[in-house]
Amino acid sequence: MPSTSDLLQGTLDLLILRTLALESMHGWGIAQRIQQASKDALQIGQGSLYPALHRLEYKGWISADWGASENNRKAKFYSLTATGKAQLKAELKDWDRLTTAIGLVLKQV
Amino acid sequence: MFKRIRKRLVFLLGRGSRREVDEELEFHLEQQVGANVAAGMTPSEARRQAVIAFGGVERTREQCREVRPGYRVETLLQVVRYALRGFRRNPVFTVMVVVTLMLGIGATTAVFSVVDRILFRALPYAHADRLVSVGLVQSLEKQEFMLGGFYYDWRANQRPFEAMTAENAVTGECDLTEGNPAQLSCPRVEASFLPTLGISPALGRNFLPEEDRPGGPKVVLISYGLWMTHYNRDPGVLNKTIDIDGKPVRVVGVLPKEFEMPRLQAADVLFPLAANEATDRKSNSGLGGPKRVFARLKPGVSAEQARAELEPLFEQTQKWIPAEIRSNFKLKVRSLRDRQMQDVRLTAWVLLGTVFAVLLIACANVASLLMARGAARQRELAVRSALGASRGRLVSQALTEALVLSLAGAVAGWILAQGLLHVFLALAPASIPYLDRVQIDLRIVGFAVVLSIVCGLLFGLAPALQRPSGEMLTGRSLTSVSHASVRQWLVVAQIAASMVLLTVAMLLLRSFWNLQDQQLGMRADNTLTASVTLGEHNYSTAAKKMNFFQELATRLRFGPGVSVVSVSDSLPPADGHGGMRYGEILVAGRPRSDAGPGEVVRDRWVSPEYFRALDVPIVLGEGFRDEDLGSSEHFVVLSQQLAERLFPGEDPVGKRLNFDHVSFPDAPWYTVAGVAANVKNGGLTGEEGPEFYRLRRNREEDWAGRGVWGQTAVIVVRSSLPAAETSRWIRSQVAALDPTLPVDIATLRERVSKLADQPRFQTTLVGFFAATGLVLAVIGLYGVMAFLVAQRTQEIGVRMALGAGRSDILRLVLGRSLRLIVCGVVVGLVAAVVVSRVLASLLFGVGSRDPVTYLMVTALLIVVALVATLVPARSASRVDPIVALRCE
Repeated sequence: MPSTSDLLQGTLDLLILRTLALESMHGWGIAQRIQQASKDALQIGQGSLYPALHRLEYKGWISADWGASENNRKAKFYSLTATGKAQLKAELKDWDRLTTAIGLVLKQV
Repeated sequence: MFKRIRKRLVFLLGRGSRREVDEELEFHLEQQVGANVAAGMTPSEARRQAVIAFGGVERTREQCREVRPGYRVETLLQVVRYALRGFRRNPVFTVMVVVTLMLGIGATTAVFSVVDRILFRALPYAHADRLVSVGLVQSLEKQEFMLGGFYYDWRANQRPFEAMTAENAVTGECDLTEGNPAQLSCPRVEASFLPTLGISPALGRNFLPEEDRPGGPKVVLISYGLWMTHYNRDPGVLNKTIDIDGKPVRVVGVLPKEFEMPRLQAADVLFPLAANEATDRKSNSGLGGPKRVFARLKPGVSAEQARAELEPLFEQTQKWIPAEIRSNFKLKVRSLRDRQMQDVRLTAWVLLGTVFAVLLIACANVASLLMARGAARQRELAVRSALGASRGRLVSQALTEALVLSLAGAVAGWILAQGLLHVFLALAPASIPYLDRVQIDLRIVGFAVVLSIVCGLLFGLAPALQRPSGEMLTGRSLTSVSHASVRQWLVVAQIAASMVLLTVAMLLLRSFWNLQDQQLGMRADNTLTASVTLGEHNYSTAAKKMNFFQELATRLRFGPGVSVVSVSDSLPPADGHGGMRYGEILVAGRPRSDAGPGEVVRDRWVSPEYFRALDVPIVLGEGFRDEDLGSSEHFVVLSQQLAERLFPGEDPVGKRLNFDHVSFPDAPWYTVAGVAANVKNGGLTGEEGPEFYRLRRNREEDWAGRGVWGQTAVIVVRSSLPAAETSRWIRSQVAALDPTLPVDIATLRERVSKLADQPRFQTTLVGFFAATGLVLAVIGLYGVMAFLVAQRTQEIGVRMALGAGRSDILRLVLGRSLRLIVCGVVVGLVAAVVVSRVLASLLFGVGSRDPVTYLMVTALLIVVALVATLVPARSASRVDPIVALRCE
């Protein structure tokens, strides 16, 4: 079992990867999307978002390119790489296993 | 892949990405503002809310940086930059540390590189640690030798060795008489020689047993060098027939490149010894031909054990030696390395010891300097810690500083070592084998660097490791006091070490002066000597040798400015080749003495002019006359010492003596023609011994000596012209007679001075290190005293405010320093007395406890150390009490 902080960090990575699986997006967009999708339950502050994005970029799971935003401003767009896609698949599987397992335990006790 | 590398590079360079992060964050903020405005806020309120929600940017920036792969490198660069800036701010400290390290590392590396070859060089033989030299020693030959009969018996019955093998005792010259003629060095060895040493030829094969028998096929092994210079490394040289001394021999092998004879003599061509045991046993008056014997110990057997096991064999064969001289022969077994290095070993250890002392002093200095810096920087560390520097950061800072300093010191030290090595090589005597191949060993540089880093770290880290307390911010320090006491101990140790160094250097120096100063008993100026060795092939008979040297002497006599020319077989003050034991000399009309062998009496074969050429006065009788050269009688001149021993209170002139009757019962009788003054004849350090001179007449029997010594003569030319000119003249005259002959020309003074090469070498080196050590120790002492004075400025201010005078303060500081100095000197004196005992055998004319030396060294050290203290002491006495008290 990973420690709590690892779990949290890993979860944020998973959320970012999942969000980027649909289309490439800038940081602000990612935060908004996660917030909307979680019905405002998850609010990702810039203080954890950007270090995570940079970390994923250095790992080679996502790539970044400068482009124009919807309001025509210069923004950095992140997109999933091939390794990132494979990673997402693996992490989703892990997550499923974990939640199923936890769910089983919670139901039985 | 390439893109990825490029990306990493961009991250490493790092500057751009900081701006990128800022832009990205700015965009995020703008979007938030936009969202807030869309939600109905006024633009200014929207921005305010957005900024509040956004939080601190600096931390995000930092975190983005930390996840970058180049982060560690960047931090390191930053730390290095910071360290360099610190060094620039404090140049005196930096220079002192780097110079200390340079001296320590440079000196250690250079000396260790030299000593390493002497003490730890891997001999080019398989399992060389099991190879020993075995044989007899006696007062005339102190290097192990064997006689044929002894060797065969020992070899047949010994138990401690896996194998025993022999080479001829004397390595002869031979001439390559084809193609490009050359005089070569040609050892004769047994077929078992190479296998015993564990060497196989680089090309071809070793001698076969049948080739090592008398009358066997004529074959040779040639050296790699000869193969290269004369046969162009052509593998076709195998089985080729070459002409040596006019006879065809077949080459069966080429020796490996790194091959060397166990006695380190030159070897161009190896011949099989091909000894006939039966005749060999009978030769040399029934003792057998002389040999040098080497053996491979069985595993687990030591040289001492082997010697003990050989003792019964030795006792048995002893009975063959004539009774008069029997007790003079001893058995000796020693490792090959000892045999090769002789007394150079002790010199090497002394050098090594000296250099370690210097290294210790240097380390103590570095430690002391870093500790002082640490103490002075406690406040800075406290400030940095308060501003959020983690302990890891502070420690890495200290580590980096120590590393940067060590690196700078190592580079400087390496350069110094290269320079020193050149100086050493220029000074080194030829008697230290392999010095010419010495080079700086990187392992040793590494060792010195690691050592300096370790001592830098030990003391550099200490202040960084203690978490600086807030109290430090006030500028008062408590811990530095304990550091100061450690530093004082370091200074005591430094002074003690330099005391030992100085004592050793001073003893060697005084010994060297004594050597240089002594009376040789002859005049060495305006005298040139030329040593010529004739090849045994071209000059095979006594008549040919005699004719050559007489012809050469006649030619030289008519040279420009030449006043005297003499021919002899050897020259003082070096040991002659020959000699005998006092007990062997028979006086006509007296019974054989049974007093035992007695001491060594040296002898030389000389021409009548010898005494004039060297300016040795004849004190009694006429000496040799030119007409004696044709006489059928044999004449001898005795040294004063020998004359007084043989004929106390009598006139020796006209007495008759027999020298060789022990080996040759019908040896001729010599008539004493005179007595010459004593001459230094046992080397520079040896005792002056009795000596006699035989007249070498114009008769073949006087030129019959065999081997290298029989083929060699030394010609002394006294001339009024400059040495270079006469030298050219001699060379041209030798070449006119035989252009292939090598001539070794040197002034007599040079020959004498060469004998002092080794003492000069060790004295210069040790002297240099002693001076280095002293300088370092003085720097250390100065540093500690200056630091103590700086620390106690306030206290001094208070004292002065309360009425203490300048002289009181001066006395306070000097007293403190004197305590350290005296402590160090006392410890050093004790250590020096113990250490210098080891030197006893290197010293000449001065005892290892020479009181003058100890007094001089003590006085020198105390004076120099006090001068070093005077500077900080004076600055302490100039402290302005008002300024000092304001420091609070």
